[in-house]
Amino acid sequence: MRIVCPFCGERELGEFTYLGDAKPQRPAADAGEDAIYDYVYLRDNIAGPMSEHWYHGGGCRAWLKVTRNTLTHEISSVEPAAGAGAAKVGA
Amino acid sequence: MAEFSWDIRSPLDRALVAGPYGARGEDGVTLIEIRNFDLVQVMTRRGAAGEMAKAAQARFGVAAPETPKAVSAGDATLIWSGPDQFLVLSKGGRHTMEALAPVFAGSASLSDQSHARALISVSGDKARAMLAKLSSIDLHPDVFGVGAAAATSMDHTSVTLWRGKDRNAQAVFNVLVFATFAESLWHTMLDSAAEYGVTISHSEDLV
Ligand SMILES: [Zn+2]
Repeated sequence: MRIVCPFCGERELGEFTYLGDAKPQRPAADAGEDAIYDYVYLRDNIAGPMSEHWYHGGGCRAWLKVTRNTLTHEISSVEPAAGAGAAKVGA
Repeated sequence: MAEFSWDIRSPLDRALVAGPYGARGEDGVTLIEIRNFDLVQVMTRRGAAGEMAKAAQARFGVAAPETPKAVSAGDATLIWSGPDQFLVLSKGGRHTMEALAPVFAGSASLSDQSHARALISVSGDKARAMLAKLSSIDLHPDVFGVGAAAATSMDHTSVTLWRGKDRNAQAVFNVLVFATFAESLWHTMLDSAAEYGVTISHSEDLV
């Protein structure tokens, strides 16, 4: 498997590490115990396209958001995770 | 009270033995360790890309790299090292932390890497063959020309790799590696190059 890093180009899997599901969003502080429990512990076991966080630690050290089909390993999109390339974001 | 004296020594001081190595009568790979350079990491602050670019252009007379490449700026080389960051490599104290801090005040954070990395220059007829055993980067001249750069890994070790100016009509590949990993990568390079015959030396001159 190879991942096309938006900063580096196509690289071998060995340069990346996997974090996991990129979907869960931290709930608001007053969202309640159930919402926090869901965010921390509960994950969908997706068979098909899944949004994931990957880290290009053996390369440019950017966090990436990868959409990967868990059945075929086909990657349909790779984009920088929030914060990567932030110098161009409006101050 | 004990007295300490701090010696500046290369991380390859012990491992590097100048002279021939490996296959006899062959001279396929030249390994030169370059010593005593100034290296500053420039990391652009959030939202400050435009301001940083202006400061870099004014200081170096060239645009700072925004994509994987190494830009020659006369008395410095600017090497892309990741999104919003690049390294300034130079000699002779012209572009040290102290010199660059006022230049990038407000637009970038700087980190002195001068003694944190070792710099190894790889050249020779068999340089690509030797590096192909360690790197998954395509080093074919059509793809990786003079000035091409990559933040990548060799033997599970993070390196900054770029192609410098040709020397004696031969490609030169520069590898910056963390000081504490330098000896390990050096031995791996020697293993990889041994079958082609290696000429080993160290130099004070940036190439
Ligand atoms: Zn990358």
